[in-house]
Amino acid sequence: MSLNKNELVDDLVAKLKRRQLVGSSAVSQATLKLLVVVISKNNWSTANQLLTLVKSVGQKLIQANPTELAVGNIIRRVLHVIREEYREAENDKTNTEFHHHAAPLTTSSSMYNLLGESGAAQEEQVQFSHSLRSNIIQEIRDIKIELENIHENIKNQAPLHIHSNEIIMTIGRSKTVEEFLKMAASKRKFQVLVAETAPSYHGQEMALELSKAGIETTVIPDSAVFAVMSRVNKVILGTHAVLANGGLVAISGSHMMAAAAKHHSIPVVVCTGLYKLSPLYPYDEDSFNVTMNPDSVLGFEEGDLIEKVTVTNPYYDYVSPDFVNLFITNQGGHPPSYLYRLIVENYDPDDQTFDL
Amino acid sequence: MPPKEKVESTEQVLQAVILADSFDERFQPITLETARCLLPLCNVPLISYTFEFLAVAGVQEIFVFCCSHSDKVKAFVKQYGKQSNMKIHTIVSQECMSVGDAMRELDAKQLIDTDFILVTGDVVSNMKLDRVLEEHRARRQADKSAIMTMVLKKASPQHRSRAVGDGSLFVLDQTSKECLHYQPVKAFKSTKQDRRMTMDMEIFKMHPEIQIRNDLIDCQVDICSVEVPALFTENFDYQDIRSDFVHGILTSDLLGKTIHFHEVHDVYAARVRSTQMYDAISKDIISRWTFPMVPDSNLQAGDCYEYRRGLVYKEKSVVLSRTCVVEEKVVIGANTQIAESSVLSNCVIGKNCVIGANVKIDNAYIWDNVIIMDNCVIQHSIIANNAVLEEGVTVRKGCLISFNVTIGAKTTVPPFSRLTTLPEDEDDDELVSEPAVVGASGKGRVFKEAEDSDDEDEEEDPKNKAVNRLAYDLKELALEGQDDSASEFESEASDDEEEAVNPAEELDREVSATLERAFKDGHSVDIAALELNTLRMASFSNFHEMRKRIIPGVLRNIDVTAKPGSGKTTKEILARWGPLIGRMIHDEDDQVDGLYILQRSCASPVVATAVFTPALRYFYDNDITEEDAILKWFYSEKSQQGSDMEKQLREKTQPMIDYLEQSESEEESDEEDEDSE
Repeated sequence: MSLNKNELVDDLVAKLKRRQLVGSSAVSQATLKLLVVVISKNNWSTANQLLTLVKSVGQKLIQANPTELAVGNIIRRVLHVIREEYREAENDKTNTEFHHHAAPLTTSSSMYNLLGESGAAQEEQVQFSHSLRSNIIQEIRDIKIELENIHENIKNQAPLHIHSNEIIMTIGRSKTVEEFLKMAASKRKFQVLVAETAPSYHGQEMALELSKAGIETTVIPDSAVFAVMSRVNKVILGTHAVLANGGLVAISGSHMMAAAAKHHSIPVVVCTGLYKLSPLYPYDEDSFNVTMNPDSVLGFEEGDLIEKVTVTNPYYDYVSPDFVNLFITNQGGHPPSYLYRLIVENYDPDDQTFDL
Repeated sequence: MPPKEKVESTEQVLQAVILADSFDERFQPITLETARCLLPLCNVPLISYTFEFLAVAGVQEIFVFCCSHSDKVKAFVKQYGKQSNMKIHTIVSQECMSVGDAMRELDAKQLIDTDFILVTGDVVSNMKLDRVLEEHRARRQADKSAIMTMVLKKASPQHRSRAVGDGSLFVLDQTSKECLHYQPVKAFKSTKQDRRMTMDMEIFKMHPEIQIRNDLIDCQVDICSVEVPALFTENFDYQDIRSDFVHGILTSDLLGKTIHFHEVHDVYAARVRSTQMYDAISKDIISRWTFPMVPDSNLQAGDCYEYRRGLVYKEKSVVLSRTCVVEEKVVIGANTQIAESSVLSNCVIGKNCVIGANVKIDNAYIWDNVIIMDNCVIQHSIIANNAVLEEGVTVRKGCLISFNVTIGAKTTVPPFSRLTTLPEDEDDDELVSEPAVVGASGKGRVFKEAEDSDDEDEEEDPKNKAVNRLAYDLKELALEGQDDSASEFESEASDDEEEAVNPAEELDREVSATLERAFKDGHSVDIAALELNTLRMASFSNFHEMRKRIIPGVLRNIDVTAKPGSGKTTKEILARWGPLIGRMIHDEDDQVDGLYILQRSCASPVVATAVFTPALRYFYDNDITEEDAILKWFYSEKSQQGSDMEKQLREKTQPMIDYLEQSESEEESDEEDEDSE
């Protein structure tokens, strides 16, 4: 059994490393699937054992591709679930001072840290009953269902945000934004401008999809974003990840678009599932970026040139939180300043890093 | 139904064969001590890139064919196989001397029963093979005689990732994707045979449209069918997969087999064939052309590189001092320490290296555990594991410093040296160090290539060997200008020069040699002029360049103190050889130019200054330079600038100028007089 699990882990690690599996949504689903197998097929008896197990898997996956932040987010969610379940079980067992135990979970993280030491020691000894194992699996299944329904939950809010005859601008190809706009189009009539998003040209694909759905769509070159911005009513962005401060890791060009919107005082709305919200903080603008093959910017065939120039082709932009006005998540709309709250609710402060 | 089973197994298990030996000596002396495929490329063993490439392609079973240093390759493969989900087998065969031998061995062992991917152990590529495989299989279904598909990549002819020494010409039919003819192209086309391509006329009859291409990177990734090893056995003289096998199959009427190609775009593919390619591919990896196979994707388990702005890749455990400067395109391995004020650019530094203060490293590849002490300068070289450079060592470009070599303090290693610590004779146990090269406290000797190596080399003509040597020169490509590289190749080919020499220096040497011969053997002016003119044409030079060398050359022979009759006085020399200078001067511009050169050369230490006025007088008397030219020279700004010496010389001509001007004005006045009369 253990071998089987290891093989699965190695398989996912290899896929992440080789970038055969990319994109927050696909990655998070694969991670969750793997964790279900890891938790259900391994022998563990105490909470600490299980936490260590999940952490070790998480460490491997994150090292394989540190820029896929969704992997870490999912692992942290699962760790959080395990801790919660444990506490509940403990409360049921002792059944005393219920309020005292429940309190630290919702108070600020620093307070909880003070009590953490003794808590960990207790965790070691608690034996999980069989029902707990199934409880945890059930909780993870809930996360899975949440992941599957994310587009549904987000797009249902579309009519609240998009009004008739508005001009919406977007960039890149985000499934979430695509669904969001399509949903809005079924209720209202509006126009969409899509920046073509060089050098990947995902924007062109996006425009094609939207026009297929009957939305009046115009593709504009990236250079025209600022010029057209004054006519736009709203900018809707998709994102690869949302960081702890509310900053975005989004496709390159997003920063330029958000800055142009800010200049014209046009609201920037980000559509994202909560699984993209990461408790990590961007200490460096480049830290969560991926620099791709320069081939799409300057062809490798240009032999004489490539020796003389250095081409960097960053895939993502960092968009600082003051450019963003609203996040639309599967739990509703939130301003960037509220994200810290969501982080506290979804992740345990102990799980910032997976050091064992 | 056995055939059907076979088809099924094709889809089930994809096999690949890696030839882990290069069968050449281009990386010697480093490859005397380890296998080529284990050399670190950006701190990752070369063969790891090949494994990764095959893993991405979905290969499940790999046969690694190793010859030299098989124990090391085996150990590495065993280690690697543990982490990988591919089945990796090693086949050891010490006797193999070429790709052909390896293929025959493979056929004898009967290990392969389906189509397989044949690569060498030094391929770096991020391409996906699924489409190639699909195409190959579809073709095989339709036509059993299509035995092989070569994967080729387009690149410009001067591309850095194209091996200079291993050019190749492909004749292709784009519609049927068939390769019709193959011919290797040598960098030095010395014989007529090399410059010509012979092609069967039949090809034109059969194919209405063909392409003759010399812009393809051939990284020797082939999809082969089972027949390929068998064909090698049948034709026991085939050595190389390209120049023998492909060429042979395509020119043979009897076999009736066809070879196809697949041209890839937007992906990276190259082979580390020589040190020059090692340099180019390292740079490609650092510049991320091989994405996702870049240092920060940590191909090797346990690595933890981070990408920083300016294409800097750094392990977390690296210790950089506060004042050291890490410029562009640098990879630094784990636990390496870099001290104050050192400057690194365009280089790869291995694990556990210690780099002292004030060290300058540019374009160098430094492997693991190297110690570099203070004030060293390293340019464009490869330094292998455990080498030690003591204080103040300078390593010039193109050096290969092999394992464990120690270079003593304040030594300068000349360009293109190859140093090793292996004893010269295999029987000798002890190394005889050469203090002249490695310094007093150094350890190591200059590596000399074996004269009579294997028969493969003997087959090759000396020019091709020169190509091999050329490939050693890391900077070779950079030295040549983009445009004149072709012509330089030709001029190189015309004389038996082993090293590439700066054309100007070469001309210098040639002219002075010719003049010396002429002086010594007493050639006539006609013969000397003829020789010099030939030289001028051969080196694509002009008269100005020739004058620049001949005038000082002639004047240098003048001995001012010599007695008349010795043949060395100014007058005698000028009378004898002055006409030769005259041959190099034609119109008025030439004359002025000649005077500048005369002025400059008399002002320099090689020619006595006393020669100047007699020489000028001689020029004037013999109509080598006319008075207009002399005046033009005298009044030009160029002659009035320059060193004090040059100015003095110019002033000395004042009486002559006065005389000339006077005679001119007299002439004019004469004319006027005539007019008035």
